[in-house]
Amino acid sequence: MITLKQIEKYYTLKGAKSYVLRHIDADIQKGEFVSIMGPSGAGKSTLLNIIGMLDEPTYGSYKFMDQELSSLSERKRIEIYRNHIGFVFQAYHLIDEMTVEENIEVPLHYKNISSSERKSRVADLLDRFQMVAKKDLFPHQLSGGQQQLVGIARALAPQPLLILADEPTGNLQSAQALQIMDLFRQLNKDEGITIVQVTHSEANAAYGNRILNLVDGVVTNNS
Amino acid sequence: MFRLNLKISLRNLWKNKGYTFINIGGLGLGLACCIILLLYVAYEWGYDKQAPDFEKTYLVYNHQQTSAGVFSHPTTPGAFAAEAKQNIPGVSRAARFSYPKDGLLTEGTHVFKKSGVYADPDFLKIEGYDFLSGDASSAFSQINTVILTRSLAKSIFGETDPLGRTVKLDNKEPLMVTGVIKDLPGNKTITFDYLMPWALLEKQDPFFKNQNWNNNFCMTLVQLERTDLFAKADAQVRQLYSKHESDKISEYTLYPIAKWHLYNNFENGKQAGGKITQVKIFLLLAFCILLIACVNFMNLSTARSEKRGKEVGIRKTIGASKKALVNQFLLESLLMSFCGMLVAFVCIELCLPYFNRLLDISLTVSYSDWRLWLALIGLTFFTGIVSGSYPAFYLSSFEPVIVLKGIGKSSKSAVSVRQILVVSQFVFAVCLMICSIVIYQQLNFIKNKSIGYNKDQLVEIQVQGDMFKNAAKLKLAKDKLLQSGVTKHVSFFSMSISEGYNNTFAISWPGKNPNDKTLFDIRSTGYDFMSTLGAEMIGGREFSPEYADSSNVIINNAAAQAMGLKTPVGSVIKWGDTDVKIIGLVKDFVVLSPYKKVDPMVIYYNLEDIRYILVRLDPAVPVNAALQKINAVMESVEPGFPPAVKFADDNFETKFQNERVLGSIANWFGGFSIFISCLGLFGLALYMAEQRKKEVSIRKVLGANPLQILTLLNKDFMRLVGIANLIAFPLAYLIIQHWLEGYSYRIELTFIPFLIALVLSVCIALLTISMQSIKAVRANTVDALKYE
Repeated sequence: MITLKQIEKYYTLKGAKSYVLRHIDADIQKGEFVSIMGPSGAGKSTLLNIIGMLDEPTYGSYKFMDQELSSLSERKRIEIYRNHIGFVFQAYHLIDEMTVEENIEVPLHYKNISSSERKSRVADLLDRFQMVAKKDLFPHQLSGGQQQLVGIARALAPQPLLILADEPTGNLQSAQALQIMDLFRQLNKDEGITIVQVTHSEANAAYGNRILNLVDGVVTNNS
Repeated sequence: MFRLNLKISLRNLWKNKGYTFINIGGLGLGLACCIILLLYVAYEWGYDKQAPDFEKTYLVYNHQQTSAGVFSHPTTPGAFAAEAKQNIPGVSRAARFSYPKDGLLTEGTHVFKKSGVYADPDFLKIEGYDFLSGDASSAFSQINTVILTRSLAKSIFGETDPLGRTVKLDNKEPLMVTGVIKDLPGNKTITFDYLMPWALLEKQDPFFKNQNWNNNFCMTLVQLERTDLFAKADAQVRQLYSKHESDKISEYTLYPIAKWHLYNNFENGKQAGGKITQVKIFLLLAFCILLIACVNFMNLSTARSEKRGKEVGIRKTIGASKKALVNQFLLESLLMSFCGMLVAFVCIELCLPYFNRLLDISLTVSYSDWRLWLALIGLTFFTGIVSGSYPAFYLSSFEPVIVLKGIGKSSKSAVSVRQILVVSQFVFAVCLMICSIVIYQQLNFIKNKSIGYNKDQLVEIQVQGDMFKNAAKLKLAKDKLLQSGVTKHVSFFSMSISEGYNNTFAISWPGKNPNDKTLFDIRSTGYDFMSTLGAEMIGGREFSPEYADSSNVIINNAAAQAMGLKTPVGSVIKWGDTDVKIIGLVKDFVVLSPYKKVDPMVIYYNLEDIRYILVRLDPAVPVNAALQKINAVMESVEPGFPPAVKFADDNFETKFQNERVLGSIANWFGGFSIFISCLGLFGLALYMAEQRKKEVSIRKVLGANPLQILTLLNKDFMRLVGIANLIAFPLAYLIIQHWLEGYSYRIELTFIPFLIALVLSVCIALLTISMQSIKAVRANTVDALKYE
């Protein structure tokens, strides 16, 4: 599903190249649950952003579902977001002015999904995550774990093939973190959604079926 | 999507009440200023355009050669209208009409002093008045008839039908009411309360039957069959004078009546602008103020971009396109400008009466007019899009990676755009401030300039009824006024002391160049003129009962210079064919325009021509008591005519109308634009204080004292205001210097207005920002640091 070849990312600072990623080669198959691990500053998030097309590699080739992305237009890329990728962030990044229900519904608006279909999908998700009673609350009225559940529900709403999660439990207490990780595993196993997560924690990484170790921008271990 | 976005926008507005208040308040105020000015511009623009065929209607202008150049005015000989209608092809109608003049209408015991105009029957059709009863074709079929406006008819006859009823004009002529028309709008050059046939004027005073082409005593309107006939008709009109007279002094032209009000200045026979300049300035002002308000919105929205940036990032990662985001932000700014429009309406309804009083006009908001709604909707969209487009494109271009990670809080370029915007706001505000100070200075300068007589405590009483051309009655009035104990001196004058014109070429003196065409003002007076007026004699004496003065004249200094006589007093000059002797020389006094040089004047002694009684009040008597006494005296002398008493300085004041309007508008709207700019500055400071809370706290922990921090926070803003002043100075200098050049008597520009503007703008800005920065300085250090 994802093929990275010789991906490099560097910034030029006063003429000197400062590398974030070097010679990244990776293949991620459909249905995999991959954890990217490594110390701070290793380039984990950058790699995830490149996979999620929020960032562009300076060099190298990235194929998503057999399409070479560097040749895609902005419009095509948005098309892919809308249809195939859901993001989950460490800081949840819900829209503060929207209720739980509306937050889950927004991506469907951008996908031009009909009103009735939107309503039923949102209702399903609320039901599934046991958030029905909280659907009219605003993010700041929820606990961190609940906010992250909404974040995941939002990512799931467009029925993506791939979920990219950047330290999804980084801001959570351990009990809530466990709940979220269980959810990820369930999504991966039961629905076959491909998941790529960035994490610090060995325990979280263990939920996945493969770990990419990243040190100073280089993959040191791909197991 | 639209509904969701609208909901989010409303929630955003509600959540940030401070910003919402500043934004909507600023936009509302800006829109209110803009709309009021636009209403005024529309009012001026609509002058004389009410008649259905106004485009085919022309006023006849008379361009007369004088030694000071061509003098253009809209007065013509009485014979013009008939001649034009008969002999010029394409002219469908032509009508003489008079300047409005106050007269007395009596019905039973009710007396009404109202303004009336005499006009030919064609005038009714040209002007296309709305007849409520009677009709245009038959109203003037008889001589002793009158057409009333609705409000006058109502005050005379109440709700009963006035048609066929009789009123008396000046207690003499019985006039039958043959029509009632709708009240005239305020923006018409010729306004009146009642209209009478020209034939009646001819009957009252045979002078007006005069067919001489040298006597200009009426105005003439000409209507053409089609506008494309104008060139031909105008060419023929230009020939008319020389067809009848050989001296080539006059030339007539047709001038579109729609231009009469706004393009009313002629220089040497050529059209040279007029009030249109002022109207254009106001139009510019209207949009500048609106732009200032829009700039506030742009600044505040982009300043808060960090907050909104996150939302943009999120929306982009979940699939929003740039276009969708731009639409969302535009929707928000449109919503804001819509709210601003509502605020503007409240402001307008509250301020319009005041504005009307200030300018002495009657602007109204006619809610039934579709053009108003169109303009309002247009303005709302204009404001929303102008103020919203930059923030929309700016915000929607954020890269999700950057904003979601919180790197690069606000990019460099955005700051500089914001700075440019703040600077331009203040440039405009400072310019306006300087201009209004200079206008005020100039106005004061002209007002305090010696006008050659003392206009305080000077009262003029119009001569009415039998008193006119009745020397005995005039003398009786004078004696009674003097005996009343409230007056110091009493004299007579043939016109109001603040009225211009009434002049002649027919003065000649020894050694006059035959080509010299100097115009001399002519006035008649009585005894005690100088002491009453407070004017100063330079030489000779004034008229006095000890001499027979019927063939003596007094001239003013300007006349003496025009004649170039070595010893004017004692010289004999010719007036027409009559020899007159100069017995006195008076220092110039202003009758027409305080802005221009005084015209030469010849004053003669003839009580037959007296139209005003001049009264110098005794300063020891309270004004009200004096006026009561004067009224009582005048009523006893001329019963049946309510005394028409006016203060000379009130009359004089009307000469400053244009400058006063300009001054007040520059003042008020300058004030508003500074206020709006400061509102924006306040918003930016609010944001700045919030953003630098942590920095301030750290500095405080490191030992900075409050003053140092205050300086640090205020420095950036003050630099902007300083730069704005530097840019505004040369700009304002150019503008105001150009304005001053229009006056022959003008102040010298000094640095003072600039200094005042600098100090004022810096102080106001400092005060505004400090309100926020002091709060930041005082804030609890721990709170700010703990948060991180």
